[in-house]
Order: sequence, then structure tokens, then C-alpha cells
Amino acid sequence: MSDTFGELAEIAAAPRPRRVRRTRALPRAIVAAALIPIALIALPIVYVLIRSADAGWSGIVAELFRERTLMLFWNTSVLTFSVTGLALAIGGAAAWLTERSDLPGRGLWRVLFCLPLAMPAFVASFAWKSIGPSFQGLGGAILILSMESFPLVFLPLAAALRSMDPAPEEVSRSLGRGPRATFMKVVLPRALPAAGGGALLVAAHMLSEFGALSLLRVQTLTTAIFQQYELQFDNASAAVLSAMLMLFCLPVAFGEIYLRGAERRDKVGRSAVRSRREQRLGPWLWPALAFSALVCVLALGVPFGRLGYWLMRGVSAGRGIEAIGPALWGSLSLALPGTIVTTIVALPLVLLALRGGGRIARVAERLPYVVHGLPGLVVALALVYASIRLLPAVYQTRAVLFAAYAILFMPLAQSALRASAELVSPEMEDVARTLGRGALRAFVSVTLPALAPGLGAALALVALELMRELTATLILAPTGVATLATEVWSLTSDGAYAAAAPFAAALVLISGLPVYVFTLRTLDPGGRGRKGRPRKRRPRTG
Amino acid sequence: MYPLSRRALLKGAALGGAALAATPALLAAASRPARAADGPLALYNGQHRPPVEALIAAFTAATGIEVAVRHGSSAQLASQLMEEGAHSPADLFWSEESPSLFALAEKGLLAPLAAETLASVPAEYSAKDGTWIGATARCRVVVYNKADVDPATLPASVLDFASEAYADKVAFAPASGAFQQQIMAVMILKGRETALAWLKGLRQYGRVYNSDSAAVEAVESGDIPIALSNNYYWQALAREIGEADVQSAIHNIGHGDPGTLITVSGGGVLKSAKNAEAAQRFVGFMVSEEGQKAIVAAIAEYPLRPGVTSPFPLTPFGELDPAPVTPNQLGDAEAALALLREAELA
Repeated sequence: MSDTFGELAEIAAAPRPRRVRRTRALPRAIVAAALIPIALIALPIVYVLIRSADAGWSGIVAELFRERTLMLFWNTSVLTFSVTGLALAIGGAAAWLTERSDLPGRGLWRVLFCLPLAMPAFVASFAWKSIGPSFQGLGGAILILSMESFPLVFLPLAAALRSMDPAPEEVSRSLGRGPRATFMKVVLPRALPAAGGGALLVAAHMLSEFGALSLLRVQTLTTAIFQQYELQFDNASAAVLSAMLMLFCLPVAFGEIYLRGAERRDKVGRSAVRSRREQRLGPWLWPALAFSALVCVLALGVPFGRLGYWLMRGVSAGRGIEAIGPALWGSLSLALPGTIVTTIVALPLVLLALRGGGRIARVAERLPYVVHGLPGLVVALALVYASIRLLPAVYQTRAVLFAAYAILFMPLAQSALRASAELVSPEMEDVARTLGRGALRAFVSVTLPALAPGLGAALALVALELMRELTATLILAPTGVATLATEVWSLTSDGAYAAAAPFAAALVLISGLPVYVFTLRTLDPGGRGRKGRPRKRRPRTG
Repeated sequence: MYPLSRRALLKGAALGGAALAATPALLAAASRPARAADGPLALYNGQHRPPVEALIAAFTAATGIEVAVRHGSSAQLASQLMEEGAHSPADLFWSEESPSLFALAEKGLLAPLAAETLASVPAEYSAKDGTWIGATARCRVVVYNKADVDPATLPASVLDFASEAYADKVAFAPASGAFQQQIMAVMILKGRETALAWLKGLRQYGRVYNSDSAAVEAVESGDIPIALSNNYYWQALAREIGEADVQSAIHNIGHGDPGTLITVSGGGVLKSAKNAEAAQRFVGFMVSEEGQKAIVAAIAEYPLRPGVTSPFPLTPFGELDPAPVTPNQLGDAEAALALLREAELA
């Protein structure tokens, strides 16, 4: 249906194409609203540059070529590449097994493979670390973080494999390609954007990870920035390290858009999900089961087991247990409004990017991805710096913290919203306008409703991250407000593992809800219908 | 073909305006004033939480004054206070170590404390100008694993650990404020060159941990035989595990060596405090007999008020024979930071 409208609109537009493009440009309100996220994102970047400039050229050069900086650079690279690679391998294998093979109990495995999302990396690290010292260091960190982050690859990849139109595969097979060649030539290229998007998310997480790495005694650029800050608040060398970290984020930021560009080719037929033949595992059944079980033991069994162990024992158990209510309330009262603010702030940027408002708009839309790899600490410092100087009245209020959340997690909302917004062709809006609607009304009645499916995923993903956000919350939260994450952090850093365990358990439990929503949204976008059951062809709007 | 109508433009502008206006409104809605002038006492806390929570409970019970706490590391909070300057919402600062207080006093951010408060503890543990006061003393010690180390073979000076004989055997935490004070003590007693050589040696032969408590845990679990730490991390661990099961022990080097260094935690009132009177009362309560008892029951530190004793099995304060360096000599420990950088440890 949309294609017919699209053709109509193209015919109508043919004589004066440039003009049409311009009217299709966003209502000015949206452009104006986009200035808010852009200003927010600019804050930490400007802050890092100002502070780096304090060091002077010679200072910057000296900092960059210290032996220690090279060591940090090396550790950061090894960690980021290894964890991303392992997450791709594990997530890829898991997605193929649950979506394309005849592995028994796929429904259950699917749920199990998503559950590690509910386990914050620093809680998992605390659990592993409390077993013994051998899990500390770079090797241990790579193992633990890969296990906790592979669902970020698994989920989008499984969803892509599932929603893929089987027709090209059937054609490939009918033309004589074997299953392996078909997979490599037909399935893989179309699954790559989803896998790549997940991998980039993992990479961004690794660049900004602090809590887990600090517990595991791994020094990266981010942990070094924290150390500098512990030593001295305004520290030029921390700023130089932050600038370096932003350079690391650049390929991540632009890699995402590159993959998104590639993704468009499978737009046609998204709604045509028919049954497809499953790959028989045959002799590989037992190794496949063993692999799935091992992943679940490492990613879920060990952390949950240790958490349970610490719940049961230790003299510090029960200490401060009455604080769990306020901390839970603190988490919710910060994370929920923060999620809404972040998603709303991201919206104009998504629209800006969709309507391709020129090079400046494209760069502006990418900036949040560059900042996403910065530790929450740097963003928090930028906000302390700016709010004390420019708006002292809001300092240490929730408003500043919400701004930090928006700066840090906007890309998650952007990606989720964009995924669903891209499915609406702008020609639809033109049609609405030929039928007499104004630019804004056409936008509100045609494009905005199409964002709804992405909204659920955006909210769930952002809520999940905000619930476990640690460093910006520590610095910016109003005095006296504690969250589950800050309580776990301060208790584990005092070595009171048993006291920390109930808070960690509550954090994991409460993270389960957004994980559930997000998983459901991703793996079953219609919210109904199962693979194999014929579905009505319908426009993908809900 | 579809020229932008004036109506649409106006509507667009109105919506844009609304969107822009909504943000400050949203900010304002979220930003209830941090607190009224007579609200709870605002405490920035860099000290470990158990003693602070114990003291606040006792203070509120005794005076009816509520206290809102902001937790962080001492150095970080001190820097935040400097950044905030006169706008600071804080009334008082409880620091885990004296250099942070010293730095704030240098910047002129601390108000003088009441004379009777200052008289509660020996003068050598407080600021010369009376702007901050030491509440408890802690001691730098050597923690060793009982299975791996015979304490009789431990060296006579902490400087000896920076040698090949101890390769991969000594855990230390360069980011810890107390370690930086230890660097200062080495520098004061033995000179800058010796201190730098010591740090370089530690970097070469020792193993870096992120915190003293992580280093002590590593010794307890047999990961590494020896750690340079504060005394109370070991006592906290022993309490968590149970005295009978603990695998590690404390060794005091003594005889004036920088390996045994007294550092103090303490407090000060901000000049910009809106609740200055209540803040002064809180600091007075910190060093009162009741307050000191509450603090030392919650953490294995030495009470500085004469006549109060710790319930923990501590080496008696008089038997420590520590390095002859006072908190005022340690100053703001900035020089230690420069040395750490020079040794590529920070």
C-alpha cells in the first residue's frame, strides 16, 4: 500500500523535485527542539576541550606519550576488541541455534540467553571476584564482560534472523546453492547490520565501563580517568585521557550509521514472515547443547549462585537492610523520569537524521554516539562545571542529573526510535499534504504514530541502563539520595559483600522488567504470532 | 508546490517555542530547591560509612537535628567543594584523611572551630589555625598472609619492599589517599630522591591494586603475600570473615619508620554553611565522649579523645612507635601526586 502512495507522490513531485524535498523538511519546531539535545551533547565535549587546553600543547603531548598512557591505550584496545569479538561469536552462535536450528527447548534457551542483560556488569564482577583472585586482571575481565554483554548481540541478531524474508534463501537453494553457501551469501549479509549494531553497543560499553573493571583490577583509559579524578578534581591529564577516549568512540559512532545504511536493503518484505526449514543439528546436537549450557552457567549460574551465597552468609548481612526501601525508591525516582526525559530529548535528533537535513544535521545526530563512550564521570564533571557557573539554582537537583542521563544514554533511544521510524516512507507525509494537511499536522498524523513501536524498546533500554548508572548518579544526585546501584557500590568497595548482596539482588530483579519488555519487543515485534503460524500481512506499525 | 503557509509557520514557531519553554519548565519542576536554609544539616562525607552512620544516628537522637549525607572519596569531595566555592550547599565536611581538609583550609573555605571543640583532642592532630579537627587516628601497617610469610622475616623498613627480594609479593594502592601520605612521610624523613626511588621500585616489583581494601583481600585470599594498607581494612575483613578463619595478620614495623604512619580522619565547617551553628555542634559531637564511642564502635580506628577506648583488638596506640610526622607536616600531599606521576604510577 505504501508503495503505491510512494509512487503517486513521486509522480506528483517529479516536475519540481527540489522544492518537494524542501517542503518535506521538518517543521521548524522540530529543528528548534533539536537544539536542546545538541546543546546538551556539546557540554561534555566543550568541557573536555577547555580542560585539555589548560594543559597546553606541551602538556598534552607529554601526557599522550607517557609510558603509562600507552599501557592504558593497549589495555583499552585489547579489552574492547576481545570482548566485542567474543560477544559476537557467542551471541551469533546462540542466535543461530535458537532461530535456525532444531535445538530442543529453543523457547527456554531464548529466555536464558536474554537474562544476562538484567545482571549489571559490576554485580557480575563482584560475584566472580568473590570466588577468588584468578578472575581478576584482563583475562578475567574479558571472560566476565563477554558473558554479560553477548545478549546485546544475540537479541538484535535473533530478531533479524527471525524477521528475515525466507524467499531469497529459497531462491538461493533452488538455484543450487547448498545450505552453507546460502547462509554465507544470503543470510549473513542481511544479518550483519543487526550483529554489527549490537557489537558496536558492546564496544561502547567497554570503552566507558568503570565499576566492573575497577573491581577486577584492570586499568583502562576510563579507570585511569577515575583515578586522576580521585587524586585531583580538575585535572588536565584526566581531560587529555577523555579526549583520547572520544577519539576511540569516533569509529563506533560512525560505524553504526554505516551499518544502518546497509540495513535498508531488507526493508521490503519485513512483514512477510513465513515458516522456514530448520537446520538439523544431527551429530552436533550434543556439542550445541553443551555450548548453550556452558554459556548459561557462566553468564547466569555463577553470578546468581555467588549472589545467593553472599545473601546467606557474612556478618555484614542484614546491616543497613532497612535502607533497601529508600534505595529502591531512589533508583525508581531517578531512573523512570530520567528515561522519559532521555527519550523525549532524543526524539528531535532522530527526526532530524531521518529527514537528512544536510551534513551539519548528520554530524549533530552522531555526536551523542561519540559522547556515549565517555565515562559518566566526565559528563558529570562537565555538568558540575557548567551548572555552578551558569545555573547555580539547579546544581545538585534532579534536573542536572536528568540532563546527564540524557547526554549519556541518548544514543540508545535514538537507535531504537530510528529503527521503527525508518520504516515509514516520507512520501506518506507528502500524500497527507496533497490531501490538504499542513506540514506539522501531516507529520503529527503520519510519521509520529509510526515511532510508537520503537518507543517501547527505547524506554526499556534506557530504563535498564539508568537503573544501574553509577558514576553520574554518585556525583550529581541530590544530597541524601541513594540508589540500589550506589549502595551496592559503596558497600562492595568497603568489602561488605554480604551487606551488598540484597541490594544487588534487588537491582537484578528490578532490571528484569525492562529486560522483559525489551526482549518481547525485539523478538516478537507484533507482540503476537509465532514462527510457523501464518500471519496476516499488515503494515508494521504496531 | 506546497509553500509553507503562514499559519503552519506560526504553529511551528509556537510549538518550537513551547518545546524550548518546556525544557526550563521541566528543569524547574525537577529542581526543587536543594534545601531550605533551616533544612537538614548537609554533610559531605569522605569517611567510611559505618562510623558516619553511627555518629549521625547518635547526633540526631541527642539533638533532633536531621543530617543529609553526600558520600564520596575525600579528595573528590574536597575538589567538588573547591569547585562549588561560596555556592556550596554543604555545611560541613568529614574527611577520611587530613590532606583534603588541609587543602580546603588553604583555600580559605573552612570556618574556625569552637575552642572547646578543639580542646577535646591533642592539638597536634588538628589544624594549626583551628579550622579542622582530627577525630580518629588510623595507622599504616603491613598485612601479610600467615601461611606465606613468617613475620619475623619482614624487613625493618617499608622502603625495603621496593626491591627484587619482594618481586611480585607486595600489593599497594597508589590511588589511596593514605598511601600518598605515606609517600609524604618518606619524603619528609628520607628526602625526595629516596621517595622517588622507592616508588619506582614498587612499580617495578610490587603489584598495583585499586584500593587498600582490595589489596588486603588479595592477601587474605592468598593471591599475594604482603600488602601496604591502613589497619582497619584488615579488622573489617576479620570481622566479616570471623576472627577464627582469617588467613592474614597485621604487622607493625614501628621504630619511627614511615611504614608505621599515623594519619587522621576529621572534620571542618564550611565558611559558606547555611547551618553554621548546627554544623559546629556536629563537629563538637564528633569529638565528644559519646560521639567518639559511637565512631570507634563502628570502625577499627583509634579515638583521639583521651579516655575513650576502641572495642577492637588494636595494637595499643602507645606501642605503635610511629614515624615522627604530624598531619600538619603532611599538608595537602600535593608533592606526593607529582612523585606518583614521575614514577608513572598515576
